[in-house]
Amino acid sequence: MKILIVEDETGLRDSIEAYFTGNDSICETAKDFTSALAKVSVYRYDCVILDLTLPQGNGLDIVKHLKDNGHNDGVLIISAKDSLDDRLTGLDLGADDYLTKPFHLSELKSRVTAIVRRRSFDGNNNLKFNEIDIDLAAKTVKVNNAVVKFTRKEYSLLLYFIANKGKVVSKSAIAEHLWGDSIDIADNFDFIYSHIKNIRKKLVEAGGNDYIQAAYGMGYKFTEA
Amino acid sequence: MKLLTKYNRINIAVTVIIMLITGIIYYYTISHILTNQIDKDLVLEENEVFSYVSKNHRLPDVYENNHQQIVFMLLGDKQIERRFLDTVYHDADEKDMEAGRALISSVKVLGHNYRIMVTQSKVETEDLIQIIFLITIGVIVSLLVILIVLNRVILKSIWKPFYKILFQLKEFSLANHPVISTTPSTIDEFKELDKAVISMADRVKNDYQNLKAFTENASHELMTPISVINSKLDTLVQTDEFTDKQSKLLNDIYGTVTRLTRLNKSMLLLAKIENGLIPDNQDVDIKEVLEECLYQHEEMIHQLNIKLVTNLQDKKIQASKSLIEILLNNLLSNAIRHNYQNGELTLKLAPEKLTISNTGKGSFDFGQVLKRFHKSDGSEGIGLGLTLCKQICDNYGYNFDYEQDNNTHIFSVAF
Repeated sequence: MKILIVEDETGLRDSIEAYFTGNDSICETAKDFTSALAKVSVYRYDCVILDLTLPQGNGLDIVKHLKDNGHNDGVLIISAKDSLDDRLTGLDLGADDYLTKPFHLSELKSRVTAIVRRRSFDGNNNLKFNEIDIDLAAKTVKVNNAVVKFTRKEYSLLLYFIANKGKVVSKSAIAEHLWGDSIDIADNFDFIYSHIKNIRKKLVEAGGNDYIQAAYGMGYKFTEA
Repeated sequence: MKLLTKYNRINIAVTVIIMLITGIIYYYTISHILTNQIDKDLVLEENEVFSYVSKNHRLPDVYENNHQQIVFMLLGDKQIERRFLDTVYHDADEKDMEAGRALISSVKVLGHNYRIMVTQSKVETEDLIQIIFLITIGVIVSLLVILIVLNRVILKSIWKPFYKILFQLKEFSLANHPVISTTPSTIDEFKELDKAVISMADRVKNDYQNLKAFTENASHELMTPISVINSKLDTLVQTDEFTDKQSKLLNDIYGTVTRLTRLNKSMLLLAKIENGLIPDNQDVDIKEVLEECLYQHEEMIHQLNIKLVTNLQDKKIQASKSLIEILLNNLLSNAIRHNYQNGELTLKLAPEKLTISNTGKGSFDFGQVLKRFHKSDGSEGIGLGLTLCKQICDNYGYNFDYEQDNNTHIFSVAF
């Protein structure tokens, strides 16, 4: 997939670029409003990761520009402002999602993947990963064509892993993804392990592969091999 | 003591003392003047005696009238000094003794020395003084009464602006929006006080606003560097193999950054609620939110083997969903975290009240934990949880309360 990262903070922009580049993704970056506008005017992207507070302009105007010109690029707004106004305006203007800073790169990746997936598989809401077949609309998982029952959290975690395949996903990121940020995350580290154990067990029992590896006690990695 | 009372006391005391002193001076002056008057009468009488003696060469007849009597007495060789004196007057008609004034003098008739004593009753004078005294007392008393009443009425109306300003000061709160309104007055001191109070209130409000804005901006600005650290960490863990030691360090950093983020978000949220920047009211189904919160906490409830008792009725309120989520999540988290193995957790949602009671060790001072950054012993939180709960409840006018019953902690939110 082709992604444009519009972010004025160099450190953050570089990290996002590094995280997204590789496998099947191409990343481009813009560090201010003008260059971002220039890029979206000429090129099409599967998803634009858009910071709202930019030098020379407001990110919302880029969303407006895209929609006014009938471009169907996916837009994910990232902003330090957790203000509902911005969120609503952004979503009203046609942005697909809104993520508040700070976030984990894995969360960003999972959101971007979801947007791209929604846009590219019109009507066809199935996600296939080797022997795993996930019906995103019905939220059911089949392994080798047999339905495997996952709990809500396990299902969400499986999707999260698939979106971040090949990457080490930290426990903090997992905890925040599963329990949200209004709950003290450290409380839940112990439970991550049991959820992952369950997913592994269910996949293997259904004849699937064990894709999840523990990564040096810091987190987990979903690998194809 | 009220200023009015104090003022009245001093006023009355001074008035009474001055009046008394005046009365005494008055009394002596008048009695002096009147005595002089009597003395003049006595001298007149003496002169009459002298002129009678020089004309007739004999003593006049002794007579008595008009509260006056003359007595002659043969003196012999004795000399007598002429003098006035206070004495007693025998009233022959009324047969009683009255205060009197006498003049003793002497006269020579045909070679014999006679003593003359002219006595005059002072009854009328005394009566006069008495009347004057009574009038004076009457004036004092009526003056006092008038003073007290007048003071009361005038001062009450004069002090009205003062009490109005005082009332406004008492009601003054930084969190509430109505500002102090001006209190018109014709008195310079009150005008000045009014001006001073208004400018003080404005200044305080301004400073408070600035402080709040600063908190919000600071928390806000911190988000960007935190998100850079976060993303760098996420990038770092992708790079290479790590030793156990390194991964432990990385884990600690992750944990700290997460804590920092939570802390910052809570502060930002507090500032926002205080600034009234959470306007997104919508229908919130508390039962639904509560069930979602329970789902989020199911692992912990399960792990501690907490007996969960729920009695949830439908309740919808107008509020920001995210705030209500934070409120309920915080309350639930606390109720679980401070619970013990095989403890109990009871959730009761009635249309007017939500109660969350949990078993738990120890006790704490509710007023203290509502303070920012207060942490109970052994708490791992950031110390803003209950502060946030209180702020959220205040924001919507809910009553947030706590009770303890033996080992059960009961938190309640009355809608």
